[in-house]
Amino acid sequence: MPKKWYRLDTAALIFPAITRRDWSNAFRVSACLREDVDTQILQRAVDALRPRFPSYYVTLRKGVFWYYLEESREPVTVQQDYAYPLTFMSSRELKHNCLRVLVYRNRIAVEFFHSLADGRGGSVYLCNLIACYLKLKEGISIPCEGLIRDLNETPPPEELEDSFLKNAAELASGRKEERSYHLHGTREDHGFKTLTTGIVETQTLLDTAHRYGVTVTALLAAVMAESIIAMQNEEKPRRRQRPVKITIPVDLRRLYGSRTLRNFSLVLNIGVDPRFGDYTLEELCRSIYHELCASATPQNMAGMIAANVQPQKNIVLRLAPVSVKNLVMDAVYRRSGESGGSLNISNITKLPLPEIMLRYIERMEFIIGPQRSYPNNCSVMSFGGKTYINMIRNIRESELERRFFSRLVELGIAVEIECNRR
Amino acid sequence: MYCVKCGVKLQEGVERCPLCRTPVWNPEPQKESRSYPDTLPLQHREADLPGAVALTVICCVASIVTLTVCLKLYGRLQWGGYVIFGLLLFYVIAVLPRWFREPRGEVFVPIDHAAAALFVLYVCLKTGGHWFMSFALPVIGSSALISTAMICLLKYVKGGRPFILGGFLLVLGGFTVLVEFFEHLSFGTEMFRWSLYSLAGFGSVGLFLLIAGMIPSLRQGMRRRFFF
Repeated sequence: MPKKWYRLDTAALIFPAITRRDWSNAFRVSACLREDVDTQILQRAVDALRPRFPSYYVTLRKGVFWYYLEESREPVTVQQDYAYPLTFMSSRELKHNCLRVLVYRNRIAVEFFHSLADGRGGSVYLCNLIACYLKLKEGISIPCEGLIRDLNETPPPEELEDSFLKNAAELASGRKEERSYHLHGTREDHGFKTLTTGIVETQTLLDTAHRYGVTVTALLAAVMAESIIAMQNEEKPRRRQRPVKITIPVDLRRLYGSRTLRNFSLVLNIGVDPRFGDYTLEELCRSIYHELCASATPQNMAGMIAANVQPQKNIVLRLAPVSVKNLVMDAVYRRSGESGGSLNISNITKLPLPEIMLRYIERMEFIIGPQRSYPNNCSVMSFGGKTYINMIRNIRESELERRFFSRLVELGIAVEIECNRR
Repeated sequence: MYCVKCGVKLQEGVERCPLCRTPVWNPEPQKESRSYPDTLPLQHREADLPGAVALTVICCVASIVTLTVCLKLYGRLQWGGYVIFGLLLFYVIAVLPRWFREPRGEVFVPIDHAAAALFVLYVCLKTGGHWFMSFALPVIGSSALISTAMICLLKYVKGGRPFILGGFLLVLGGFTVLVEFFEHLSFGTEMFRWSLYSLAGFGSVGLFLLIAGMIPSLRQGMRRRFFF
């Protein structure tokens, strides 16, 4: 039987082109169960999910004109976790499988190469993996509601579609943005990544956000922007400073009613320019919240989608060999991909899970890796009344984390800190 | 347990706050609860095999074509020798490291210099010159020695970067004087025509780095400015 293959979706096209010998774009979703994980049963669950989620059991292949995903016949083997999350996914590894399932004590973690899915798609896979694992281990019956899918049904085409193509506007919006301030520091040896997790009560966080009249994402982005502005102030005089912008991914599924499990999110760079004056936290919250609301509209996002879709339709670019496309995409990414933001804050909102599963799960987390050109990133996920704020870095200095979490404490939010570095 | 400086709650058993590195005093020491194991991944650097194969084929084809053309036209190597030895030099410098997962600078730099010496020796013999032993070999040899030492120091000595770079620049300045000295010996040119300028240039930057290494605030400022 010939192997199935899939075109990369519009957002996924960039990731193979910008991969480096020591950096690849990946993310992790993980869940801690109340008991230690049985690796053999988990392996059975991983294998059982293959027919239902075919677009995740794939390898990355290079065609003449485009990269593509090809069905992988190799098993996705459950591995023991490492000292840090998101270890480098080499091109050699991507030729075998583009996702990893890792276990440490009671934690199941799945790491995805970003060309496969975005955080939402990854979360759906993880939840179904846990559901299947619990069915096999505990013998419980889990209803197919919320994110849980029926493993016996054929994957519907709308789960595998490239929703960008459907929802692009006729006219593309411009990409041009001023370069933002980027943090820097002393690189860790051998690609080590330090993960600092701040655990806070979701209700306290929500109350604080509501006190400022904003959402949790806007509050966290404002506190982060305030911390980065303070760091820039200590480094440069005001006239030589750069804008501080937080890159916030927007899940487009809700805006366009898509059910795709592949990439369907776009990022907005939201922030302020500290050259024009000082900002209080209230002003930052207001500014970020309103800019976010004004930008994350279906019309505006459709224009941004069109900016990504249109080059794909250009006949000259389509006929260019993949190596030439890599050079072009790499140059575009360098100019406009990461330069517009100072740091990512990616927030996965509540995951609707069947009640019965919640009894077995202690916590869930979402982690994105550091970007290619800046060393810190932040990802957020709420579960069971707690919010897990994961700050990852590939430098030694923990100044941003210190400022950010200390500021949350000052705002009256009790923060519990965990770190993988000893 | 809370950090007295940041005010955050810490994991049981940690000795320092992960945010500000403030030591944590715990009257009842407890076992540290670990969220990650100690296992580090294997280093995943890969050899660029497709690139190495493609460049090897290109070099072989170019050499064969050159050889065929020269033999056909002149019945001997003629100018083809320069091309073939040039290609060999290019191969050793640009292609050979691609075959290896982790090409080590301290191994490949002397090999590159040896290939360069071989190429220069061919040119010397072909042109009937007598400058290889008195000029080319000492210059290439000194260059190999200095660059290999520099790579080893940067790789194996932790810290002290400004001192290593400063020292290297001073030695580099001295090396230019040495080059002019061998030029003077081999070709009878006038001494100190240009090398003193380069010695002054390299020397002043090198001295500045040595001084910067001794002054922490200047060192930190430079690190911030020249970070890449």
